[in-house]
Amino acid sequence: MATNNLPIFGTKVLIEIVRDILYFPLWWYSRGLIYLVTSLFSFLKNREKGLALFVWIKNIFKPMYAQTDWQGVLISIFMRIVEIIARSIIMLFWIIIALASFLIWILLPPLVIYEIIFQLI
Amino acid sequence: MLKNKEKNNFIYCPVCEGRGVAKYGLACSNCGGVGLGTFFANRFYYWSLRLGKTVIELDQFRKKVHLAVNIVAYAICLLGLFSLGAWVFIVGKDTVDLGAFAFWRAKSVLILIFWLSVIADMFIIYRMNEEERLMHKIKPIKYGEKDEISSLINNWEDIKKATGKVKIDVWGGYDARTLTIINEAFLLAQRLGHAYVAPMHLFFACLSDPQVGAIFSRLNIAPDRLIDSIKNQILNIKDIGGKTELSRNAKEILIEAYLQANQLGQRKVTAKNLLIPCLERDEMIGEILYDLEADKNKIFNVILWFIVNEKQVENYRKFKQIARFKPSSNMDRAYTSVATPTLNHFAYDLTLAAKWSKLEFCVARNEEIEKIWQAFESGRNGVMLVGPAGVGKGTIIDGLAQLMVQEDVPKFLQDKRLVEIDAARLVSGATPAQAEERLLTMIDEVNRAGNIVLFIDNVENISGITSGTEESLDLSEVLANAIERREIFCFAAATDKNYTQFLEGRSLGNVMTKVEVKEPTGNQAIQIIESKIGYLEGKYGVYFSYSAIEHVIKLTTQYIHDKYLPKKAIDILEQVAVKTSKKRGEQPIVTHEDIAQVISEATGVPVTKISETESKVLLHLEDKIHERMIDQEEAVKMVSSSLRRARAGIREGKRPIANFLFLGPTGVGKTELAKAVADVFFGNEKYMIRVDMSEYQNADSINKMIGDEQGAIGYLTEAVRKQPFSLVLLDEFEKAHPQILNLFLQVMDDGRLTDGQGRTIDFTNAILIATSNAGAVFIQEQIQVGVKIEKIKDALINEHLNKIMRPELINRFDGVIVFKPLDKENVKAIAKLMLNKTRKMLETKGISFQADETGVAKLAELGFDPKFGARPLRRVLQEKVDDEIANKILAGELKRRDTVIIDSEAQIQIEKGRKI
Repeated sequence: MATNNLPIFGTKVLIEIVRDILYFPLWWYSRGLIYLVTSLFSFLKNREKGLALFVWIKNIFKPMYAQTDWQGVLISIFMRIVEIIARSIIMLFWIIIALASFLIWILLPPLVIYEIIFQLI
Repeated sequence: MLKNKEKNNFIYCPVCEGRGVAKYGLACSNCGGVGLGTFFANRFYYWSLRLGKTVIELDQFRKKVHLAVNIVAYAICLLGLFSLGAWVFIVGKDTVDLGAFAFWRAKSVLILIFWLSVIADMFIIYRMNEEERLMHKIKPIKYGEKDEISSLINNWEDIKKATGKVKIDVWGGYDARTLTIINEAFLLAQRLGHAYVAPMHLFFACLSDPQVGAIFSRLNIAPDRLIDSIKNQILNIKDIGGKTELSRNAKEILIEAYLQANQLGQRKVTAKNLLIPCLERDEMIGEILYDLEADKNKIFNVILWFIVNEKQVENYRKFKQIARFKPSSNMDRAYTSVATPTLNHFAYDLTLAAKWSKLEFCVARNEEIEKIWQAFESGRNGVMLVGPAGVGKGTIIDGLAQLMVQEDVPKFLQDKRLVEIDAARLVSGATPAQAEERLLTMIDEVNRAGNIVLFIDNVENISGITSGTEESLDLSEVLANAIERREIFCFAAATDKNYTQFLEGRSLGNVMTKVEVKEPTGNQAIQIIESKIGYLEGKYGVYFSYSAIEHVIKLTTQYIHDKYLPKKAIDILEQVAVKTSKKRGEQPIVTHEDIAQVISEATGVPVTKISETESKVLLHLEDKIHERMIDQEEAVKMVSSSLRRARAGIREGKRPIANFLFLGPTGVGKTELAKAVADVFFGNEKYMIRVDMSEYQNADSINKMIGDEQGAIGYLTEAVRKQPFSLVLLDEFEKAHPQILNLFLQVMDDGRLTDGQGRTIDFTNAILIATSNAGAVFIQEQIQVGVKIEKIKDALINEHLNKIMRPELINRFDGVIVFKPLDKENVKAIAKLMLNKTRKMLETKGISFQADETGVAKLAELGFDPKFGARPLRRVLQEKVDDEIANKILAGELKRRDTVIIDSEAQIQIEKGRKI
């Protein structure tokens, strides 16, 4: 039995580690990148849900607190615009954060290689 | 509902006979090393990993290497951060210029180390992600795939060629801990020199798994006993020699465990999945577990319990994440709703309570919730949950509130609040007019706010309240109108009894769709109870065994009939928890005996395990009965054996414990035997319900027996409902009206009777004894002639009984027992028994009692009458003995320490006691 398993297993362990090291840069730009993008999207989706930005935009002409007289409607539209602007700013901040993470992910490997070469020469 | 699956059919390679190995340890050329496997849901499952000492060692080596790689990566990562910190520190010492800190432009060994370490950081991210991805290895079977017919041909050539998509190596689905357990099983077999790894080795190795330990502890199995028995079995294995390898059985177990985990929706196979396949492959394991009071079904249900709990925890985690998005004020997310001050005063916000996790989780009620959605989809604006109290109507509403928080609901309920109106509070302290005004204001508020769904529990409370004058509306009609105009969405709940009485056919009942909430049964009930156990355990610091849960459902179903599951079971569990925690201190285990005890106390029914003393009583039931009954050997024997059958649990559960017809002249002990049975079997004579059937001679006296629709309570049904565990004595059975006798056809056959109010009364725990003195003269005559009892009985049934009772009724009795008329000797023995009672009475007064044999015989002679049996005897003894003694006590002639003597002339004498 050992004759069957020993070489197979011994090399298996070695191959696994080598494969890990070789596959890792490839992973970074393939599966890893997909993973990053999906998690960033769900992150942004949750931020949006928390801020209810789209709900505010959708209801922009609906009077707040069901105040349907014209003063109410006017104040409501004004208030809603203010709210939407404020919430958009916060949302923009999160989008920038997400974009920055994406860029860092993309640029990190060349940057590291460049820096190491820069340090060495 | 998850069920234990059927057995899989395995196929074996004919060349290597399932071993997967050919000569010299090479893979079998016919099957490609597969050996054996099974088809399931269009895929072929097999186990490829061949275990061996070297392989196991290599595997351990591999793990160590991987661990080392990880540790090195983490170390580099830390070193990098440290060097960057050091560099900043060094630079910061000389300058305050921020520009000097731009490390990406500086040249230094420390910075080089930092950049190198960033690669390690990235490597760690990669490793973590890959590990997580590889975790979900079990390929779930999708809906519909199960029914597909296998396209793989049962042909080793094809199987060998098949790709990984349809040919699944189950080895990959095992988690690391369980693989170690399998390795341990192998090493154990090898150490002992066994040729094969048998199911017993695997089972033994599983016992070291903490979760398996927890499963057996839930089953209240002492680990030491189990381990010892399994150890003995392993030492008895005779298959010794050769190189150890996995047996066919072991491989099948490993494949079946994978399939089980797959069907239960697990992501990984764990040790608990191995238990049932092991048990199925080795009878001995089953026997050992059976001795420890566990079986396959119990183990499977406990495994399910663990899985349900795991899922509950996971659901709770998800729920908490989603609940963050539900607004915590009474506003909707778009701020279009209105303030609702009146409503807030009378109502309780359920969605808010759900958001802060204050409501109970709703388990195993998908069917009812689905029905509710369907009702709304069909265009109604109201749904009424109808079901007995305690079946979980409130919990379903709690479940709805939780679904609303998760927004996992139909569109019209999204972004809304579920608000419960307290009906009692609405009407209390208010005139009907005020109550109506309150309700109208609330409906108005709900209507304007637009984001509110109402729930009214016990909705019958607002029915029948009007503001006075005849034309004014009933309060419930106000609500009904609002629902009908589609102004509001409304849920309501009512018990089924109140629904028929107050709501059915009225306007509110008409505008709302009725959704019946049924009492959960079987596994559904078990799962609901299991989901509540965690709470009870936390609150009272006790630990419930699985059998406790199984029994609480079984016993409450059997013995508690005026309440419903799951409430009645939870109530009992709570009582047991309180009692056990007080009695036995820290972390006591609640067993089914504890449950049985509390149910016994609550119902007066002896449901505990048959104790040693009790089994002695049962075995010697005849002697026990004869202590108070003279002769009638045959009758006593027949009754005793049927009672033994009942208590030992071997009888049909759907009928009364026993149905007897006692025939015989008056005064021969028919009633006495019934009393003796009640005393011996139920523990007290008071567990006898005596019905004089001569009082039911008219057809309309049926109402007196079972009650009527107007609410009159039936004598028999009410007595049995309150005390289901009792002896029902139907005296002079033949005298009742034939229509009333017909009622007993059903009782004796199905063990139940429906009373006037429509309730089903359970007779399965009752003993039914009917007595009759039909044919008494015939019996006497025949006995005098010397005919045998058996013959008399046949003649009685065929010639006398069938004239007054329908044959199907006679047939329903388990036994027709003929009581012999008493002879003089019997009467003398009875006289002695009766005098014994007098003796006991006198003893309490400190007076002794003696009776002369001839005196007793004389008394018996006086009390004997061939027509009336022993009945006149009582009168004689009363006159001649009891009255005399009473007179003497009153006259002061009989005092403490004196002795009463019945002399040979049957006269009372007194012997004075010594003076003190």
